[in-house]
Amino acid sequence: MATQTGTAFADDPRIIEYDVRTDEMLINMGPQHPSTHGVLRLVLRTDGEIVSEAVPHIGYLHRCAEKIGENLAPRQFVPYTDRMDYLAGMNMNLGWALAVEKLMNLEIPEKAKHLRVIIAEMNRIASHLVGMGTYGLDLGSFSPFLYAFREREKILDLFEEACGARLTYSYLTVGGATHDLPATWLEKCEAFLDQLLPVITEYHTLLTTNAIFVRRAANIGVMSAATAIDFGCTGPVLRGSGVDQDLRRDGEQWYTEMYDGYAFEVIVEKDGHYPKDHEYPAIPKTAVLGDCWHRFYVRMLEVIQSIDLVRQAIDRYRTATGSHCVPVKLNQKLPKGEAYLETECPKGQMGFFIVSRGEAIPWRVRARSSCFSNLSVTHELCRGCLLADVPAIVGSLDIVMGEIDR
Amino acid sequence: MAEFFSTYLPSWLAQLVTGLIQCVILLHVPLVGAMFFVWVERKAAARIQDRLGPTRVGGMFGWLQLLADGLKLLTKEDLRPQEADAMLFRLAPYVGFCASFTVFLALPFSDGWVVQWLDVGVFFILAVLGLEVFGVILAGWASASKWSLFGAMREAAQVVSYEVPLGMCVVVPVMIAGTMDLVAIGRMQEGLFTNWFIFHDPFTFVIFFVYFTCGIASVNRAPFDLAEAESELVAGFHTEYSGFRWLIFYMAEYGSMFIVSGLAAILFFGGWNGPIPLADLLGLTDANGELAGYLGRFLGMLNFVFKSVLGVTVMIWVRWTVPRLRIDQVMTMCLKYCTPIAAVMFLGATLWTYTFPGGVTGLRGTPYGTVRGVSAQRVELSDLTPATEDAEGAAGEGSDNKPAEEHAGDVAAAAADGEAAAASTPSGPLSIATFASSRARSR
Amino acid sequence: MDAINWHTFFFLLFSLVACAFAIAVVLSSNIVRMAFYLILSLAATSGLFFLAGADFVGAMQLMIYVGGTLVLLIFGVMLTNQGPYTMLKSRGDSWLLGVVAGVGLLALLTYTALGVRDWMGPTEEQLAETQLAFAQPSATATPIGNALLGIRVDKLNGGNEPDAQQQVLQGGMSGYLLPFEIVSVHLLVVLIGAAHLARTKKRSDTRST
Repeated sequence: MATQTGTAFADDPRIIEYDVRTDEMLINMGPQHPSTHGVLRLVLRTDGEIVSEAVPHIGYLHRCAEKIGENLAPRQFVPYTDRMDYLAGMNMNLGWALAVEKLMNLEIPEKAKHLRVIIAEMNRIASHLVGMGTYGLDLGSFSPFLYAFREREKILDLFEEACGARLTYSYLTVGGATHDLPATWLEKCEAFLDQLLPVITEYHTLLTTNAIFVRRAANIGVMSAATAIDFGCTGPVLRGSGVDQDLRRDGEQWYTEMYDGYAFEVIVEKDGHYPKDHEYPAIPKTAVLGDCWHRFYVRMLEVIQSIDLVRQAIDRYRTATGSHCVPVKLNQKLPKGEAYLETECPKGQMGFFIVSRGEAIPWRVRARSSCFSNLSVTHELCRGCLLADVPAIVGSLDIVMGEIDR
Repeated sequence: MAEFFSTYLPSWLAQLVTGLIQCVILLHVPLVGAMFFVWVERKAAARIQDRLGPTRVGGMFGWLQLLADGLKLLTKEDLRPQEADAMLFRLAPYVGFCASFTVFLALPFSDGWVVQWLDVGVFFILAVLGLEVFGVILAGWASASKWSLFGAMREAAQVVSYEVPLGMCVVVPVMIAGTMDLVAIGRMQEGLFTNWFIFHDPFTFVIFFVYFTCGIASVNRAPFDLAEAESELVAGFHTEYSGFRWLIFYMAEYGSMFIVSGLAAILFFGGWNGPIPLADLLGLTDANGELAGYLGRFLGMLNFVFKSVLGVTVMIWVRWTVPRLRIDQVMTMCLKYCTPIAAVMFLGATLWTYTFPGGVTGLRGTPYGTVRGVSAQRVELSDLTPATEDAEGAAGEGSDNKPAEEHAGDVAAAAADGEAAAASTPSGPLSIATFASSRARSR
Repeated sequence: MDAINWHTFFFLLFSLVACAFAIAVVLSSNIVRMAFYLILSLAATSGLFFLAGADFVGAMQLMIYVGGTLVLLIFGVMLTNQGPYTMLKSRGDSWLLGVVAGVGLLALLTYTALGVRDWMGPTEEQLAETQLAFAQPSATATPIGNALLGIRVDKLNGGNEPDAQQQVLQGGMSGYLLPFEIVSVHLLVVLIGAAHLARTKKRSDTRST
């Protein structure tokens, strides 16, 4: 047992001190660990049960995606974006495709835009289902995990019909989508959405309002809005702290025009209330804005929001004109210049940066990972918490190592 | 049984054989029980999680899956971390299992069917149940891994803390019954199910739920299963255990679950007495001969096992439904909720039995502390001391003044209607008890 | 021998275990192993209590000594220990002092024990009374319970005349209840004091509940 004396922390007034001095322990959580989402190594310095320091070590899943992007045409790079946030592959594809289209100043047809909304929001639902299920699993609740995956299976079946793959889709590409939706896809999608809403209500009973879950998540890992902004957190992590920011509404024109005309609310707490489109469970008294419970709650509400969006998009898709894509040659020369575009992915704001010197192969590709910034706040949040709270906090950030390490 | 054998074998061999047979039969309860319970757990967990569970081994329902798993575990490599304390590492699972198994010695499965009929049955069970924590502590320590150590310490703190409210919850039916003898407690709940202690008064009703919660906590099941919190500490104190040793831990856990449920069944739900006295109605009592009595008791045993299995099933159900609590929340619940509630309920139950000794409607007929129905075979004080006459009657409380010819009654307030139970010979199971008492006699 | 008195057999077994592990405690140098041997030794002692018919005391020994005191001991050892194999070796002069003290105590105890004539073995008539008994509990808790209330079972054997016993009863026999309560309150005070001494000293409140 390695021991460390805590003299360096003796003057840190935020660390709790005991009269009876027990040795601090340096505990390694991961990289293979059932609780950390992916290959994340967390080095914890604990004093008994209280964590005084949690340092994440990343890089175990680094696959040099950005370097590879310097050797491939943009359309060839799409599968690599799949593997970044592999739980929301479609959103990754979308982000990359939009960034390249921005560089190329390529307008895509109406139909393709609505198709992209359908697919992106469906994938948001799938990603949040995984996040919600695994969060319950981290806290010891085994069954909602399987229920969430059961629903996700249905989404994956739909995606498989659309593009042939269940996880690494490479579906939304530069110019639109690779294939149009099959014949009965929309009806199946609507049927799925119809049966999803009661299931979400079941999840609320099992998790969101469950007394034990509330005790484990409420008032844990409280992050103020200022801290969230300082660390660059985005997505549900940011909105869970009360910051009203959603790129689908506030982002660049190139991105928000995809959501033009759609009616949706940004899921964030305003004056103690969340948008009241549906019947949502009440906020428990112990939950503090910016804690794990609010981050979880935002994700649950975003699922319902996405169901709405998909329905609207399906209606528009049916009446839209045009084709599902603009044909783009594989070795199409990219105009000289650079383009950076951030999109609202399920985990946060994912940005893609592409620099071109006029050739078909870009000069530099950069992916700004939302989970990277989200994870950076772990050190701050875990200070002074209990050991059992570390998976609760890390789980509430909903990280995917593929995106962090690229 | 030893009497039966002693007709064929020398008496000492007869006793040995009897003891061995009883031990073997008893050993099968946690072993086969564990196998059955794990099957129930896997099936129940699967169904709750919208899947099927084991379906291949042993036909459609996979009931032999556990046998296959057990065989697999037996053939696994026997790992030991290099820095582990070898002796303690090897012994820890067996210590835990022994503690869990020893309780079965004092747990009655039916009227009179108990391996060791202890007067302090409840107390003995509580004492030994608390020893299971040693297996956990030693396992966590001897694995020389910080994770195991954490899990062990958390579990030890939890089990030891929950012994307090558990004890208090157990005291309530003991107080109502006036005895710690589990067989006597079971006998007192004969008849209709309204005789069960859980329906005795509202305080006991509440106490049952507190007991069950504390019982789940003391056997480390979800939502109190931090020691095995897979998602946090891999597997807690038994991270480094594989193969057979892990299986022993597992069996100890299921054995303890069965014990806690069985104790709840006896203390609150009448033990081997069914909701209606079926054995009496069918005539399967001692009065109709030995075989009938045996069958009646067998029926009672089935009843008892059914109730315990029900309790275990509820524990399984709860495990797969709710998330788990953090250690400080577990401790808060123990010290701030379970213990005060148990104390208040105990007070309430005491006052209730004091105010309504015959039940609220007065229909019970037998006052508090009195053995109802068949009286417990109790050693009379008079058998320890000759001609005590009205000694206790003059000074003691709760016993009637009896004529000098009869043996003076129980000193416990178990005035069994002046029964001939007083005629039982001093029959402690151990000779030194008799020896000591006769020493006292001739002093 | 043609017959084994199982009682003697178990008595010898338990005593052997108790003594052997007690010696092992002294001879071992690993603290945690010492605690473990002590557990086994005390558990064997409780077995001896059960053999003597003192069920209550035996269960009490298990609950308090083994289940309480030793858990505390192991906790303390584990928490303050550094390294998995902490050694506790005694120096030479400590050994000598220990041996002298131990042998002296053993001699004193043996002499005292052998001096109690009652303990020298059962007499003929008492042997004749012993019998195999099955499925009958002996009342071990009831005399204790009564003693709390003032009915002292052990003091009632003054003789065969009722008058003598009346005298014994009236002669100021008191129960143990009051001392029991006093000791309980005392222990509660000790508990509260210990908890107070070991409390955490929070510098500032950063911990989220």
